[in-house]
Amino acid sequence: MLRIIDLVSGYGPIDVLHDINIDFKDASVVSVLGANGAGKSTLLKTISHVVKPRKGSIIFDGVDITHFEPSQIAKNGIAHVPEGRHIFPNLTVKDNLLVGGYFRSKKENEESMDFVFSLFPVLKERVNQQAGTLSGGEAQMLAIGRGLMAKPKLLLLDEPSLGLAPKIVSEIFHVIRTLADKTGLKVLLVEQNARKALDISDYAYILVLGHIALHGNPEDLKENEEVKKLYLGGKYV
Amino acid sequence: MFSLIFRGLATGSIYSLTAVGIVLILSTTNVMNFAQGDVGMFLTYIAFLFIARNVPPYLTLPVVVVAGILLGVVLDRGLMIRARRSSHLGMVMITLALTMILEGIVATFFGTIPLYFPPIAQGDPLIIGNVIMDRQNILTIGVALLIFLILFIILYRTKIGIAARSIADDEYGATILGVPINRITTFIWALSFGIAGIAGLMTAPRLSLEPSFMIVVQLKAFIAAVLGGMGSITGAIFGGLILGVLENFIAYYIPSIKESFSLILVVVVLLFLPNGIFGRREARRA
Repeated sequence: MLRIIDLVSGYGPIDVLHDINIDFKDASVVSVLGANGAGKSTLLKTISHVVKPRKGSIIFDGVDITHFEPSQIAKNGIAHVPEGRHIFPNLTVKDNLLVGGYFRSKKENEESMDFVFSLFPVLKERVNQQAGTLSGGEAQMLAIGRGLMAKPKLLLLDEPSLGLAPKIVSEIFHVIRTLADKTGLKVLLVEQNARKALDISDYAYILVLGHIALHGNPEDLKENEEVKKLYLGGKYV
Repeated sequence: MFSLIFRGLATGSIYSLTAVGIVLILSTTNVMNFAQGDVGMFLTYIAFLFIARNVPPYLTLPVVVVAGILLGVVLDRGLMIRARRSSHLGMVMITLALTMILEGIVATFFGTIPLYFPPIAQGDPLIIGNVIMDRQNILTIGVALLIFLILFIILYRTKIGIAARSIADDEYGATILGVPINRITTFIWALSFGIAGIAGLMTAPRLSLEPSFMIVVQLKAFIAAVLGGMGSITGAIFGGLILGVLENFIAYYIPSIKESFSLILVVVVLLFLPNGIFGRREARRA
């Protein structure tokens, strides 16, 4: 699956990520937790090559994809659902989904669209509506659905809980876990909402100022005093 | 009265065609293309080469479209893709340079003396009731409508068109999904230059062929795009048609402000409706 080795990445003169090592092994859902500015989004952007890696390598299914262009990465089975969703407000829900399946045939896209509608039935009701008129939760569902249109092997999910009501977050996280269990999709989840992310993860990494500070099974991390204090609400837990 | 509207619509069709080309490029690449009119001028001279060799004028339509598409591909692949990496302003300057280069080439080979360009649709005007309709004008309106129809099919029904609109909406979002941005912008330049050729060919018979004959059209198309909200294809189409019709009325009733009217109009529109007559119909939740 995905293996990241000694990855260094950043913007301009500044390195944001330092010697990151991540290995999926047999995990289905892996989360990367951390505070604002820890480099979580940069990590996902580097994997999809919107930000160019400076050192290290990214291996996906045995292929070195470190220097692939974003469109090659997408063709190789990695879909990125960006932070802030970046759906296309003037396009209809249907057209948004079609852009997600840009490399695939019409027939494949029809199948994928039915699949997305089965996961998020509300999108089917809104299929001809402009995406800019969707609510926050619907927009997040559309962003995930758009990523799934490419029928990826790996889904990069950046802060799907951002700005959403707790109930909707649970709903979306539930769908993600179910997807991973039923279809074998692998998910790399980046979140600030550590508790909910740990609940659906098989393995987790904690990112502090661009370094991996800790990693382990969610159960162990939940018991770790420092993690409790910093990411799970401190002594009030 | 109806004759006036009809003639206005014909003039407006040319403005719309040119404005649509400008807006296509502006919305997908953020480049204000100052050369849209002069590209049309250049392509019309290519058509003139054929007409001078007694090729029937209507056959030059496919010629200018193909030549325009080629020119668009060469410009984007050769210059714009490189310039995009370094500076945005550089791309705008390239379009300005292009106007001078094209006008220079044409002036060198054909001189600056106005040349006669035959109407593509010849024959006596059609008269229905009391409306007098020139055949060339009928053709202009018809061709423009056909182009708009094709354009809408491309933008709303084909994958590459939908992807182009997605880039106009959110380029980062499109990049991250793996949409090949470069290939699609090349397609847009080609499409836009193809339309530029048609606009030139429709304009030449009403004026005469000289290196600067499309400059006024470029200016009017720019105004039409502003009227339409500067980002919307539909807006550019209606902006051009409205401008053409209004201008014709003004020329008839208040001829003294004929030339300055469109500029007055743009000032008024920008003052009171800064998003254009149609506004930017961006779908957003209130």
